[in-house]
Amino acid sequence: MQVDFNAPYKNRVQQALADPNLRVAVSNATDRMTDARLASMDAVEGQKLRSQVRQMKQHVLRNWPDYLQQLESNLTRNGCTVHWAEETEDAQNIVREIALQNSAKLVVKSKSMATEEIHLNQALEEVGLRVVETDLGEYIIQLADEPPSHIVAPVIHKRLEEIAEVFQDKLDMPPTREPTKMTSLARARLRQEFFAAGMGISGCNFAIAETGAICIVTNEGNGRMVSSMPRVYVVVMGIEKLVPTVEDAFLQLQALCRSATGQNLTVYCSMTSGPRQDGDVDGPEQVHVVLLDNGRSRMLARGYGEALLCIRCGACLNACPVYQEIGGHAYGSTYNGPIGAVITPALAPEISRFKELPHATSLCGACREACPVKIDLPRLLLDLRSDLVQENASPKPEAWGIKSYASLMSSRRMYESLGKMASIGSNLYAGMSGGNIKFMPPPLNGWTAYRDFAPFVPKSFRQWWKERSKLRGQT
Amino acid sequence: MSARDTILSRLRETLRQPHLPFPPAHSDPLTHAERMTVTHAEGDPWTLAERFAQELTAVKGSCELLETETEARLSIISRLQLWVEEEQAARKTAEAERAGDYDVLSWPLEQLRIESLPLILKELGFKLIEPTDLHDPQQRERIRPIRAGITTVEAAFASTGSFVVGGRGANARAASLTPFRHLVVIPFSKLYATGEEWLAQMRHAGRLDDYLRQSRNLSIITGPSKSADIEGNLTMGVHGPKVVHAILFDDLQQ
Repeated sequence: MQVDFNAPYKNRVQQALADPNLRVAVSNATDRMTDARLASMDAVEGQKLRSQVRQMKQHVLRNWPDYLQQLESNLTRNGCTVHWAEETEDAQNIVREIALQNSAKLVVKSKSMATEEIHLNQALEEVGLRVVETDLGEYIIQLADEPPSHIVAPVIHKRLEEIAEVFQDKLDMPPTREPTKMTSLARARLRQEFFAAGMGISGCNFAIAETGAICIVTNEGNGRMVSSMPRVYVVVMGIEKLVPTVEDAFLQLQALCRSATGQNLTVYCSMTSGPRQDGDVDGPEQVHVVLLDNGRSRMLARGYGEALLCIRCGACLNACPVYQEIGGHAYGSTYNGPIGAVITPALAPEISRFKELPHATSLCGACREACPVKIDLPRLLLDLRSDLVQENASPKPEAWGIKSYASLMSSRRMYESLGKMASIGSNLYAGMSGGNIKFMPPPLNGWTAYRDFAPFVPKSFRQWWKERSKLRGQT
Repeated sequence: MSARDTILSRLRETLRQPHLPFPPAHSDPLTHAERMTVTHAEGDPWTLAERFAQELTAVKGSCELLETETEARLSIISRLQLWVEEEQAARKTAEAERAGDYDVLSWPLEQLRIESLPLILKELGFKLIEPTDLHDPQQRERIRPIRAGITTVEAAFASTGSFVVGGRGANARAASLTPFRHLVVIPFSKLYATGEEWLAQMRHAGRLDDYLRQSRNLSIITGPSKSADIEGNLTMGVHGPKVVHAILFDDLQQ
């Protein structure tokens, strides 16, 4: 069953919860990735690694404009073309223009959350380009016409049988449940696309300001293909994906790999410093780097700068009990899980557009413990909730309820009288329905729809204590 | 105002605010002295070579450690011959031999300084294909069916079983990427304990910046191409080579 992205948040969650395949697939995969991360971080000085990457990234953000200018200047010196995009449409237009100028018809893409964020595939398809995702997981969900549901494992929500059906339906593959055969078919199909494509597009795991290099990390090799085979290579990078030096890049690379998949290093880390020069056998003739803001500067100004430390490893998703139950699609946003619940509203022009997301959490803190840069995600989620209240964006009944609760709790007399009334009323009602309350009027029926409600105790603690003290005084 | 100037001035303005919650006003850089080495390795060249082999094997690659250049030459030849036999056996037809079975996508092997290697391979019937321009459709088609690639490395790291291949001049990126099998030849002189050590030595020698810029492309490779995207099932050879075999030989004795 596929989650309906146009449905309201609560309905999406219910749809996800009602899908047993999704829950098994997500739960198995996230448990596996969490175990791998823990073992991998325990094998080295994991805490020190986390602290050092955080320190490095924090320093970059404090000096953000300077590092961006240094990167721009070095990329340009290396022969790359640098573009700046303020919002989604600007980035879409830049990439479309590059494609049209080079008469590209077919684009091969390496998995990139930044391009998901700006809906680049749709924007390119609108002007007649064919866009092919080449990461195996992304390829599968593109065939299934779905967005990714995890930052590093886009098809985490599907089970083997469901993926086999996609191969059968979309690629006319004879029925099989063998992942090796499916992979071989994908390799053969995508190999044709790599050799024919006029343009390659990728995101950027990190860019090295000191030398002007773009680094992408993959296990399959599609990142190398995309950045090497077509004549034109376009990188869309969020402006926060910066590191000062190559040594910093190597440090972050290891934190990323260990946190994402529990590997010491991923199979490929590819660093591109510029286009092909005379005498080079291969490599792109043009390298374009699109520096994408799209709300990142807004996020810093709003006070959510800490979330800009994120290195997109997905560890917080794997650790999150909410994500484990509902998967990624129920969030209804490009970025999901705890980090998505923070950055989606924080990047948006109005936080209130995604007002449900800061509540899609149990605030248990598992995400903070998992994060390789120690982002305090629970605190940021609480800050967002607070900002939503300030913006009057929380639902009216909730705001009214909280206000009434505040006035009730600030008056002892009112609290005691209401307590007495609730005790008498609830016990009377429960007595009529066999000891427990089985139905309450809205909005309290949200509770009784699934479970009984026990009546209030006949005596309050205060009353009981007073009576007890009196009795003791007598003896 | 251009998008660039708008973004940069917005950031500068925000960072000037005295009570900005994040980042802290004093955010020190991570210095070279304090930056940690994440995965450690140490020892003499043979110990490091053994560690390299252990790490590469753990990620489904394979490895041979050899004492001399002569042994390396023999081993390269037998490995390529073995691969041809395996390819032919896998085809399971009466006429298993196919034109192109002996094609090897190659970097110029003179770089290896293994005496007479290209000559012997040619005598044995191997064709070392060294393309000059892979944007030329004919050359592109020529390399497409090639099943084996051979390269050397810029550096290799014992601690993770990784090696670095560059992509400039005659060293085609494709040689370590498009074939089904990649034979990588690593002299001990290119083997470092860790990636951090390699970078430190390059920086100390004042070569790092120029080296990175001039490389255009550098790839750190750790094992064969793989994916676990199909419900966690590990599959090998998704886009890059399914087989990565490293031949390490001791060139330091000479």
